Amino acid sequence: MTFVDAASRDYPPFSTDACIKCNVCTTVCPVARVTDLFPGPKYVGPQAQRFRTAGPSPDQSVDLCSGCGYCTRACPAGVRIAETNSRARAALVAQRGSPLRNRLISDTDLLQRLGVPLAPLANLGLRNPLLRRLGELLVGVHRHAPMHAFARQTFRRWWRRRGGATVVGQHDPASTVVYFHGCAANGWEPEVGRAAVEVLERNGFAVIVPDQVCCGLPMISNGLYDGARRKAQRNLRVLGDPARRGYRIVTSSTSCGYTLKAEYRDMLDLDDADTRAVSEATWDICELLLDLHERGRLATDFGRLDRPLPYHPPCQLRSHGIGTPAMDLFGLVPGLRATDSDHDCCGAAGTYALKKERWQIAQDVGRELFETVRAAGAPAAACDSETCRWQIEASTGVPTRHPVEILAEAYRLRDAGPTANGARTIWRS
Amino acid sequence: MPSADVVVVGAGLSGLTTAITLAEAGASVWVVANGMAATHWAHGGVDVAALPGTATSREGVGALASRPGHPYALVSGDLEPALGRHLRRLEGSGLPYRGGLDAPLVAVPTALGSLRRAAIVPAGQAGATQPWRGERLLVVGIRRFRDFAAPFVARNLARTAWPDRPAEVRAAEVDLPGVGARHNLGPLDLARLFDDVEWGTAAIAAVRRAVPPGGGWRLALPAVLGLTRHAAILRSLEEATGGAVFEIASVPPSVPGLRLFEVLRRRLAAAGGRLELGNPVVDVERDAGRVTAISVAAAARSRRLAAAAFVLATGGIAGGGLVGNRDGTLSERVFGLPVEAPARANWFAADPLGGDEAPLALAGIHVDGQLRPMASDGSPATDNVHVVGSALAGMRYLSERCGDGVALASAERVARLLSGETAAAAQPGAEPPVRAVA
Repeated sequence: MTFVDAASRDYPPFSTDACIKCNVCTTVCPVARVTDLFPGPKYVGPQAQRFRTAGPSPDQSVDLCSGCGYCTRACPAGVRIAETNSRARAALVAQRGSPLRNRLISDTDLLQRLGVPLAPLANLGLRNPLLRRLGELLVGVHRHAPMHAFARQTFRRWWRRRGGATVVGQHDPASTVVYFHGCAANGWEPEVGRAAVEVLERNGFAVIVPDQVCCGLPMISNGLYDGARRKAQRNLRVLGDPARRGYRIVTSSTSCGYTLKAEYRDMLDLDDADTRAVSEATWDICELLLDLHERGRLATDFGRLDRPLPYHPPCQLRSHGIGTPAMDLFGLVPGLRATDSDHDCCGAAGTYALKKERWQIAQDVGRELFETVRAAGAPAAACDSETCRWQIEASTGVPTRHPVEILAEAYRLRDAGPTANGARTIWRS
Repeated sequence: MPSADVVVVGAGLSGLTTAITLAEAGASVWVVANGMAATHWAHGGVDVAALPGTATSREGVGALASRPGHPYALVSGDLEPALGRHLRRLEGSGLPYRGGLDAPLVAVPTALGSLRRAAIVPAGQAGATQPWRGERLLVVGIRRFRDFAAPFVARNLARTAWPDRPAEVRAAEVDLPGVGARHNLGPLDLARLFDDVEWGTAAIAAVRRAVPPGGGWRLALPAVLGLTRHAAILRSLEEATGGAVFEIASVPPSVPGLRLFEVLRRRLAAAGGRLELGNPVVDVERDAGRVTAISVAAAARSRRLAAAAFVLATGGIAGGGLVGNRDGTLSERVFGLPVEAPARANWFAADPLGGDEAPLALAGIHVDGQLRPMASDGSPATDNVHVVGSALAGMRYLSERCGDGVALASAERVARLLSGETAAAAQPGAEPPVRAVA
């Protein structure tokens, strides 16, 4: 493994020297907005960083950071606050260890290995208020935490049954993409994976779905960098070769996508040919489709979808720096009246909203967004990141879909019928 | 590749104003910025010009416009329409301002207990600009809010030479409900608390109890009186205390600046403009003296944006638009435009704490009548790049207090130019329209 040189200018904690203490970061922080337990990005970032040496960390409130990244993007001085905070949390975890709960909820591969084969039973358990209370007491997962039902059939199984390719052979890199479904589109929302594949195929792409594991983001955001590096290495071993051969890697999760694009390097310090190639080859699915459209090659024969669609661009999407491609794509669908939520954050932040001590904060962060989504009176909402979708759906009761599911519906592709049908999260009791 | 009519680089007052005016005129506009800007640091008022010995902003603008090389020498003719447009825009969005070019420049208290001269302020600060008719001033601090020390402000004000002054200055500190537990109480935290109706009502009652008996008090509070309910909070406070109430801008983040930024941000979105933050420009493509596209940094790969015209609104040295080099030169960060600056040996003032502004403040981009950067031989360095705001050379925005006026006037000039409403005065070679103001 090659690591980023800690003495290089790229090393995020070094950027904290550029802080001019102007507090712009504090004004955009969704967590500091709702709780005084978190003093804000300036304090836990550039201020505390000066005291972080080999000894015990002086500041534990950094663990309240949800990792949304708004601070980094708002900073006029180029300080990489969110990246610095993530590392500070990892250092805390390395010093003090991590509760079993965090190790469990961040190992999504393990959760799915346990949950999917037992899906009917596991889902029954997740819906049982008594068991949820027990889970809160024993494990520390909030009884109302927005969880998604395990799929009875994973996306990968569907793909194999369909005879889909899993190995990159002599395909043409211009018309072939490698699909990184991530854990959510595999064992929780396989319909997102199916919609992604169908929309890509509808636009002339051959799709290859190589073996893969969780991107590692849940572990990164719980400060479990060693485990995340193991996930990263497994993925890089599979994705590195096609990336170097010019294949694009497409993700339907803005969170996994951002991890492949940036966090293997920015957080995990991985710095080798595979990491760089994978980063440069990775495209968010809406980013790819919009790029296709800008080249005049997107199939635009969408059918009408006569309805309002509240859309929430998740914070992970904003870190991509690609704008809101889903909004541009929605504009191509006749009748669809999509509106940007214009709210910063839903509060979910991956595993953040699952934790019993964080759930209320996550609810408070997302409160205004939930009101906006409910007030739209739409049969469904849309959002590009899985845990955000679950948070919005569980908190509003409005079914919340990936943009590509909406597009698949507009293409009249999906057997499942209208995307508005039913919520898929486990309801709050 | 995405393309727009105009790409604006920078999201401060000048950039957002240019973008909104263009978008409202029907242009497709993208604003890209490497972070947020000086709106979040400044007092939220509109500084047009406050020169020693002048009674109004208009007088100051006239004096500055007669200085060759000052931005007002080029754009002062656009100031009046620009200011009108700006104040109407803010008023229409529920953020009214008071004052104008002919309003008297009056001494307004700062959070240090010093005075600054201002003529155009948010309604929340207007109480400070009214003549004192024998009233007394009560400076109200909030206990545990460290950014505003009322006794210190009051003591300094009491011993400051203040031409038209209150009959008496006194300080009070109030305990507001529940703030004792907050370990890092900033102005924004308090503003958000005030926005909560129930908390705000209790807070107003606490402030009322702090007013000494006898009447005739005008109240000054730190600028924390709400973000979304600001006007209502101000009204309730005045009703409760029976006198005028005004805000004193505190250290960043500036709540009046946040209110301003939020109005501008929403106006831009409503007009169909796009605003993207965290995207430093990393590459510029040119063709025969024109910029054809810029690339902004993004995760994994940079993103190209093509446009017919580009507006540079990245600010001066404080805003990060200009950077100093070790060899004593300055660089403009985005397009690499030629920067006009004093020699390295003359950057700083002999007595900076004595009130001399560093000559380095004069550094910036030298432009023609269309605000296009000029090469050293006087020809336009780039045909379709226009410079607005503090990136312009030739002003001392701290001592002249002209930064907002220059931002608005230059934004107006460029927006009108690019939206086809080219004013006759903006034609290259025309006399700078100084007389319109002087």
